[in-house]
Amino acid sequence: MMEMFGTRIHACAPLVLCAGAALAGCAGNGEGLDASGRPVGEGGGGTPPPPSTQASFQQIQDTIFTPICTACHAGAAAPLGLRLDAGNSYALLVNVPSVEAPAILRVTPGDPDNSYLVQKIEGSASVGARMPLGGPPLPQSSIDLVRAWIAEGAPAPAGASGTADVFRVVTTIPAADAQVVAPVEALHVIFNADVDATLVGAAGIRIEASGGDGVFDNGNEVRVPLADVRVSAVNPRMLTVRPVAPLSGDRFRLVLGASAGIALADVGAHVLDGDADGRAGGEFSVTLDTVPERAP
Amino acid sequence: MSRHIAVWAAGLVCLVIAGQAAAEPYLATYAGFKCSQCHVNPTGGGMRNTFGNSWAQTQLAATRIGPEDELWTGVVNRFLAVGGNARAEGTWTRIPHEHDANAFDVQEARLYLEASVIPSRLSFYVDELVAPGNADNREANIRFWVQEGNLYVKAGRMYLPFGWRLEDDNAFVRQLSGINMQTPDSGVEVGLERPNWTLQLAVSNGSGGAPENDNGKQVTGRAEYVQTHWRIGASAAFNDSDAGDRTAGALFAGLRLGPTVWLGEVDYVEDDSLDNRDSVAALAELNWFVRKGHVLKLTHEWLDPDRDVDEDEQTRSSFVYEWWPVQFLETRVGVRLYDGIPQNNMQNRTEAFAQLHAYF
Repeated sequence: MMEMFGTRIHACAPLVLCAGAALAGCAGNGEGLDASGRPVGEGGGGTPPPPSTQASFQQIQDTIFTPICTACHAGAAAPLGLRLDAGNSYALLVNVPSVEAPAILRVTPGDPDNSYLVQKIEGSASVGARMPLGGPPLPQSSIDLVRAWIAEGAPAPAGASGTADVFRVVTTIPAADAQVVAPVEALHVIFNADVDATLVGAAGIRIEASGGDGVFDNGNEVRVPLADVRVSAVNPRMLTVRPVAPLSGDRFRLVLGASAGIALADVGAHVLDGDADGRAGGEFSVTLDTVPERAP
Repeated sequence: MSRHIAVWAAGLVCLVIAGQAAAEPYLATYAGFKCSQCHVNPTGGGMRNTFGNSWAQTQLAATRIGPEDELWTGVVNRFLAVGGNARAEGTWTRIPHEHDANAFDVQEARLYLEASVIPSRLSFYVDELVAPGNADNREANIRFWVQEGNLYVKAGRMYLPFGWRLEDDNAFVRQLSGINMQTPDSGVEVGLERPNWTLQLAVSNGSGGAPENDNGKQVTGRAEYVQTHWRIGASAAFNDSDAGDRTAGALFAGLRLGPTVWLGEVDYVEDDSLDNRDSVAALAELNWFVRKGHVLKLTHEWLDPDRDVDEDEQTRSSFVYEWWPVQFLETRVGVRLYDGIPQNNMQNRTEAFAQLHAYF
């Protein structure tokens, strides 16, 4: 009996710690904070902007994404890779295919009905539950704000600098090491800041085929002629690379490097941190395998 | 014959209307079981095994309908087993300065299938979310027991092992960790099951269920020491991501005292992708087994989303009554009180809900 009593006491210690932490904690009084719980003046949202006749992305960020959605959709573990914090939301929404339903874009500029974001907050999406998950639906006025912004072409946040301290790739479409059903018409790269479109033509952007052996850097790679490399007019954080002929029948590698000393940079002249070491410079590369389309 | 038809019909109706992958660690603590005692997945949640189905019919429900010797086990034959979970609920929400809202929703409906091509050794498991919306795969993995009932390797899409596997994905500890039943990931898991220990180590993409978008991986580990009346565990996760590294840790414990079960968990997260933000969440839960098939659950949670920012803390208090009137059917009614900064209406909402949950 004493022994059992003793083991229970031992079990109680961490339990008391957990319970104590939970029970002793009270809600904050919000002093000095905006509606998102961030210090006033920090930026990044929370204080509702003055009424405007035009729906703006900043309004959506400040009144929906930051105070509500980032409870889950933030940081490195954001569900489905969708980070809705102020620094990433626009780049990961506009013209970016949904992960749950890849045939539809998260935000299709000018077309709210065919935007997965709208479908998710209205509860009409083809996959999964309505957002915010487990919470009440957004007020109709908030949904209308998102709809209006998309209907107006999903313009980028007004006054956004479009730059970042470290200019880097957020994601690619298709994703790295993906197996993609051929033919692949184009590759998209999403950055964390607006791309300087004037550098795109001169920077060392290339697609290589492995030469049939699936291996790179063994000397038999084949350079794929490019038809077009351009920054999206709607989403200046998205670069689209389009080969002359659709990619199929091999393993391919997209490389964002430098050519004659010219590398990709954002509109603030921050050179791409391609190798993700936290410093400007280095090549970014991503590979994908194409697989034959299945017979119907 | 007619009874069988009625049972199947009732099951199908419940499945159509209702589900969330059930995971109730307080039941395991009450019974003194490890997760693998009742679930085919050693980390708990999802499909129940023969024992789990039998226990649900004979020990959990207030009343049992049907002959004593007739038990549903989910086993179709020696090689194939099926299961399911479904939840439908009505909710009422009051948000300060806004109109009240109420709605009926199908929270989730899931179907499980396990093909044990080498019984007790090699199996293929699928957890498919079939509602709301179109079908969406949540888990699809191969599990091979290197030593039967002792050491396994699992590969594919899976829920990661971290902390208490709670049914409520919106619990602060599950929301903060980002590891819950909404975020399965693809990878490999190795697990060790000993009489009083359960250990798991997983390496996964760390992309929150999205296709991999960088070369970094997430490593997640969980260790739990289980005794008849108490248990204690720890978890850690490290996500090497281009967006920024993320480190999470958790301590959790459970204790049965007479007709009550106490659960607690504290999570700590450091996220470089959010300007090195440090966050803490804690949960304390009391489950009182009033009588067979009746449980009163009181939960208090606390969240500090940024330890460097003062007065931004949030709490959530829940009062829930759970009743299993008959086998494979659970009803839940409850109230959740949110308390947060006054500037944010959503952080100060009140929710009430009534839920019907069918499982098999």
